[in-house]
Parts: sequence; C-alpha cells; structure tokens
Amino acid sequence: MRIGSPALGLLVLALPAASFLLIGVIPALRRAGRVAAVVSVAAMGGALAAAVVMWQGARPILEGPPRNPSATWSWIPGDGGPMATVGVMVDELAMPMCVLVTFISFLVQVYSYAYLHDEPPPSLGRYYAYQSLFAFSMLGLVLAPGFLQMFVFWELVGVCSYLLIGFWYNKPSAARAAVKAFWITKLGDLGFVAGIVMLWAATGTFDFWTLFGLADTGVLAAIPGLSMIMFLIYLGAVGKSAQFPLHVWLPDAMEGPTPVSALIHAATMVTAGVYMVARAFPLFALTPDVLSVIAWVGAFTALLAATMACVESDIKRVLAYSTVSQLGYMMAAAGAGDHHASVGHLLTHGVFKALLFLGAGVIIHVFHTNDMFRMGGLFARLPWTGVAFLVGTLALAGIPPFPGFFSKEGILAAVLNGGFRVAFVMLALTSLLTAFYMFRAVFLVFFGRAHGHAEAHGVPLAMDGVCRLLAGVTVVHGVVLTFGGHHGEAPAWLPWASMLLAGTGIALAWATYQREAIAPSRLSAALAPIDYLARRRYGLDGVYAGLYRIVLLGVSRAIGWVDRYLVDGVLNVLSASALRAGDGLRHLQTGQAQDYVYGVAVGVLLLLVWAHLTAP
Amino acid sequence: MPLPAYLILAALVFAIGLFGVLTRRNAVGILLGIELMLNAVNINLVAFARFRADIGGLIFTMLTIAITVAEVAVGLAIVIAIFRVRRTIEADHLDLLRG
Amino acid sequence: MIAETVGFWVMAVVLVGGSLGVVLTPNLFHAAVLYLPAALVATGAIFWLLESPFLFGVQLLLYAGGVVTVVVFAIMLTERLVGASIRQGSRFVFNGAVLAAALFVGVVGFIVQRAAPPAPPAPAGEQMVALGRALVGPFGAALQLLAVLLVAALLGALYFARAED
Repeated sequence: MRIGSPALGLLVLALPAASFLLIGVIPALRRAGRVAAVVSVAAMGGALAAAVVMWQGARPILEGPPRNPSATWSWIPGDGGPMATVGVMVDELAMPMCVLVTFISFLVQVYSYAYLHDEPPPSLGRYYAYQSLFAFSMLGLVLAPGFLQMFVFWELVGVCSYLLIGFWYNKPSAARAAVKAFWITKLGDLGFVAGIVMLWAATGTFDFWTLFGLADTGVLAAIPGLSMIMFLIYLGAVGKSAQFPLHVWLPDAMEGPTPVSALIHAATMVTAGVYMVARAFPLFALTPDVLSVIAWVGAFTALLAATMACVESDIKRVLAYSTVSQLGYMMAAAGAGDHHASVGHLLTHGVFKALLFLGAGVIIHVFHTNDMFRMGGLFARLPWTGVAFLVGTLALAGIPPFPGFFSKEGILAAVLNGGFRVAFVMLALTSLLTAFYMFRAVFLVFFGRAHGHAEAHGVPLAMDGVCRLLAGVTVVHGVVLTFGGHHGEAPAWLPWASMLLAGTGIALAWATYQREAIAPSRLSAALAPIDYLARRRYGLDGVYAGLYRIVLLGVSRAIGWVDRYLVDGVLNVLSASALRAGDGLRHLQTGQAQDYVYGVAVGVLLLLVWAHLTAP
Repeated sequence: MPLPAYLILAALVFAIGLFGVLTRRNAVGILLGIELMLNAVNINLVAFARFRADIGGLIFTMLTIAITVAEVAVGLAIVIAIFRVRRTIEADHLDLLRG
Repeated sequence: MIAETVGFWVMAVVLVGGSLGVVLTPNLFHAAVLYLPAALVATGAIFWLLESPFLFGVQLLLYAGGVVTVVVFAIMLTERLVGASIRQGSRFVFNGAVLAAALFVGVVGFIVQRAAPPAPPAPAGEQMVALGRALVGPFGAALQLLAVLLVAALLGALYFARAED
C-alpha cells in the first residue's frame, strides 16, 4: 500500500477553500468577475499540483503491519476518546481520485471563463465562488477518514450541485431542476445518515480505519442487522449516483451550464456514490446480499438509461443518460466484488465523459441549440473538435486502444466472475446500445446534411484547447492501459465479444443515421413497446409527482390541520380560559373598601383556624 | 383581675370595632370603628406590660397612640378632600377602583 | 382587691356599651361625641387599673381630647347640616356580625387555653422615669422613626390643606 503526505492532502483541501472564502467574503472581489475567476483557477491549479505531487511522492509501505493512512483531529468530544474526528485519509484510493477531481475542476474552470464570457461580472464571481466551494467539498469527501466527515461533505456537495444547477435562477426550469436534484438525492441521504448512525450505535465509531479493523477481526460480522445498515448506507449512493429509481434528477440537471454538467454530473459528484461504496468496501464485503442488490440495480440502471438515451434528441440529455448508464456499470462491478474495476472505470470515465460534455458545450455554442436533429455537417467546419469528440465517443463505446475498452472489460469480467449471468447479459446489451446511441449522436451532429446554421466565428481557445487536452489525456491513458494496465482474470473470449458488440452498435448507427439504409421510424416500430416507454421515461417522473402530491402534500396538510386546531387549539383554549377567568375574577374588585376588609378579616379567620388546628 | 379578663375584654372591643368597619356606610363611621380596634390593641399591650413587668409594652402603647393620632388626622383630611370633589363620603359611592 | 374588681367590671361595661353605641347608633354625631369618648375614657381608666397612670393621662389628652375633636370637625365639614339630619344606615349587618363574632371566638379560644399567670408585684420606682429612660435608651430608634412618621403626617396634612391651584 502507499500512503501520501497528509500535509499535502490538507493543502489540496485548503486551496479551493481559501479561494471560496476570499470570493465569498469580499464582495468587491466577487463583483469583479474576471478577477474572481483568476483567483479560483489559480487556487485550483495549485491544488492540482499538490495532488499530483502527493500521488507521485507517496511512499510505499513494504514491510510491517498496515499503517493507518489517515491523519485526524478530534472534533466532537466524547468520553473515552473523541466522538467524531476530522482529517484526511491519503491512501491509494484517495490519491488518484484527488488528481481526477482537481484536474477536471481546473479544466472546467478554465473552460467556463470562455463559455460564460457574456455573463455579467457579479454573476461570474458567484459562479467561481460556487466552483471553489464545490471543489473543496468534493475533495473533503474524497479525503474523508470517516463516515461523519464524508457525510458532511456529501451534503455540502449536494448543496453545491443545487447552487450550480440553478445558477441561472431566473429560468423556472433551472430552478425546478435544482430543487428536484436536491430532493431526490436527499431521499437517498436519509438512508445514508440512518445507516451511519446505526453503525455508530453498534460500533461506537465513524472512523474508516477503525471499522476496517473491526471488519478484519470479525466483530462487525457479528452485528445483527448489518445487512440492513449497509443497505441503508448504500441508499445514499443510490441517490447521489443516480441509480434506479433515484436517477430521475440527472437528466433534468442538464439545465445548468454545460461546464457544470461536465464537472458535477459526469466526472465528480455523481461518482461520489461509487467512491463511497469502494471506500467502505471492506464493510460491504461482509454483506454479500447487499452486494448482490448493488450489482443487480447497477446492471438494471445501465440498461434502462441506455434505452432512454437512444430516443433522446437533446445532446446533453443523451450524455446525461449515458452517465447514468455508466454509473450503473461501476456499481455493478462493485456489487460483483471487484471494486478496483469499479474505480478504474470511474477514473477513465471521468476524463472522457468530461471531454464529451465540454465538446457538447462547443457544439451547442456553435449551433445555438441542443437539438441534434437541427445540427449536422460540423466535421467539415471544425475538424479538430470533431476529432476530440470522436476520441471521447470511441472511449465510451469501448473500442481499443482507448481506455474505455479496458475499464469496461474489467467490469464485464468482474460481473462474469461474480456469477451474475443475467446481469452480464444486461451489461453486454448495454454496451451495444452505448455504441449505438453515441455514434447516432456523432453522425447526427458531425456528418450528414447540415440542418442547422453554424456560427461563422471560431471557437474560443479556452474551450477548444481544453477539449483537445482532454482528448490527448484520453489517448495517453489508453496507451498506458494497453501496455501496463491491470487486466483482470477475464475469459479469453471476452475482449472479442465486447469489441463485437461495440462494432455492431456502431454499424447499426451508421446504417440508420449516416447511410439511412434503415429508417429510424422502422427501427422504433420494431421495438415499439420499449420505444414507447423510453420516450416517456418509463413514467417515473409521473410516479414521483404523484407521490409528492398525494403522500407528501397530503401528510403536510394533515399535519397542518393538527398544528392549527390541536396544537394552536390547546394554546388558544388556555389563553381564552385565562381571559375568561380574568373577566370573572374582575367582579371581585368592587371598588368598595369594606369588601376588601371583609377579605382581610376572612383571611385572618382562616389563619386563626389553621393555628387552632396545628397548635400543640 | 387575672390577665385573661383583660385580654377577653380587648378581644371583644376589637370584634366590635371590626363590625363597625365592615358595616358602616359613612367613611367617618368606618374611621371610628378603626379607632375602637386600635384602642383594643392598646389595652392588650398595657395588660401584658403589667403582667410581664415589661416596660416595652408601655412604650409600644405610646407609639401606637401617637401613630393612631397621626393616622386619624391624615385620614380625615383625605375624607374631607374626597368630599370636596365628589360631594359624598358614602363608602358605597366611592368605587373608583372597581375592576 | 375588691375595688379593683368592681372598677374593672364597671369600666368594662362602659367600654363595651360605648363601643356598641359607636358602631350601632344611626346618628353619627352621637357616635362621635357621646359614645366614642365614653369608650376612650373607660379605656383610660383600665390603663389606670393596670398601674400605668401616665398612659391614662396620655389617653385622655390625645384620644378623648384630640381625636374626638378632629372627628367632630370632619363630620361638620362633610355633611350638609342644614335640614337633613346626620343619619346613616349600615350595610350587610348580619354578615359583619357573624364575621366579627367568629373572630372573637377564635381569639378567645386561644386565650382560655393557657393558665393565667400570677400578677407580679407592682413595679417599683417612678414609672415616668423608667419610661423616659427607655424611650431614649433601648427604644431610641423607635422614637426617631416615630418622629419621621409624624413629619410625614404633617406633610400629608399640609398637602391636603393647600389651596386649590
């Protein structure tokens, strides 16, 4: 194992935090949008450098017992040691994740400078404040040494997602989407916090290293209801990583600016759920039934989202469903028992999905529309953008030597080795669909007849440069994986099978959308029931709306009634009786002094009686 | 006479004075009742001073008499002032403190 | 001895009769001028019987003299004398009687529970001197406070006597 320097870990955390504090606290800085952007980008660059140094400089521990890779400080005091700690856990899982988060954040912030160039400066300052806060929150989550800190930053990341999706808060659809994202993920978080607290109640600690130790010694396995606890904790990942049925917020989250989608809803925030499962894997390994659930839900989500992507016409929505689908892949691998494959796909997907989203940003900027059916023929005008986008697409479709091929193969191998045959078939089918819908998008946008009107002027360097850089990183990553990557124990036929599936998907897309040998309408007619359901998103949005209206509003109306008539009623009755009693007692005050003397005399008489009774 | 005789006498006068305070309609009549009650208290004090050979009782009585005289003076002054304003000193009509 | 007993009973009758007259007579003037002084003088006589002639004198001077005079003035100034007689009724006589009787019974109940202590010998020496010494000695503070009270009463009386502004 390798342990990084905690000091560097703190530096990685501190830089975006400082940037956020500066931009947030100094209004003048925020109002001068460009300056705020520079501050934020600089902080992010510094954090990236620190993360890389931390990773490369990590020392391997070759001998002796495993050492605790975290450095913690006491936060909430308790008797017999602190109840909760904060700190950084810099191990082999956290370090590459830190590099991914800081790298993508840095590129996205640079890209945003050009993408949002006609945003008023105070608004721009607000954007960069949110970006810095998000980076800090995500890094805090990744580096968390225990469940409590992870949960705090989990929620903070959710808040940033809300703020960034609803960045253009004057748009009603954006505001609604932000609230929807927040609420749906909150549903999952209910389970998460319940699970964490139950785990603490059973073990007395939130700390990962301590919990891993308890798992090793068999103490954890003996806890009754551990499956329930781990399932509740998994629910948090269901919400955050958009697994079925809590996936409905991710497509709507595309209302936010495209760089935000690239950062949060492709590479970093949504992967927090996968990261959490990987981080807590020693605990999940003790509950194989929960792992099965994770695998099945993951595979099902992958297939479901892929079908919905095939019928979308908005390019960002296609990419959003694609993200949901790939998250399903990652969860399936983790559920099958191989969390390394899961994290491997997380890292590769983070890069090429961000590339695809940022490329989509360029496309949208050029065509001024999201609708793919109104685009076309872009490759002739912007060949290098097309090449970059194509690199991302090939990576996503799983064509060697691009990294997506290797990481997907790892996942398929893991699922097969875990014995989940049906899930494997679902994932294989999803591969075919993935290749299909991605190349459908490519053919519609870059080739064919030019339906739309492309902008005459060129693409800003910041945007284009970032896309090319990401494409380059993808290619390099693919080369590295070809020659040095860790290949799981996969049956020999697997790579050929996955290449065949991808090739079939590409061919189908080419035939339908490029050569138009097959009419799309006949294709959808052939798969009519699925096509019908997919276009209506399987009615899930309606289910949620109905639940909200009937259950939530109904319950709140009932509670409102109770509050108004019972709770307030009690108080009103009390005050009314006090008033009435006062009114009644008022008649004692006759204003006649002799009546008061009567009162005094009666009192004295009573005292006399009492004295008589108690006298010895 | 033994001590209880004086004490019972004082109690009787006190009760009669209380009756006067409670039943008289005229404000001056009420003050007369108060006079009787204070008188009874004085008898009590002097009796105890005699039977306990304690001069404090006599001192107390003197103080009480002095205070009573002052109180009567000021009280009647108030009654006269009320009469000037309200043209009546019947206790039934003086109910400004009515709630 | 006998003289003392007889004297006590006579004075007691006068006192009680005078008190009853004060509270029961419908004529306020009678109450203030006849019955009240009778009760006050009887009280003074009882003080004499209790071996304190000084207080007898004080009682006659202040009470029977001063208080009665002031009360008479007050009655004069607050009743329309011309024509209407100074009459007054009583209110809720029964309730008052019951309450007063109950109070009396309660107090007497306490009194008869204890045995009567024997009368100690008459105090030797001049009572006046002893009183004087006590007033400026142990009870000096009481004297000062009394002075303050009298000043306050004077101020109060002055306030009420002032001319209307």
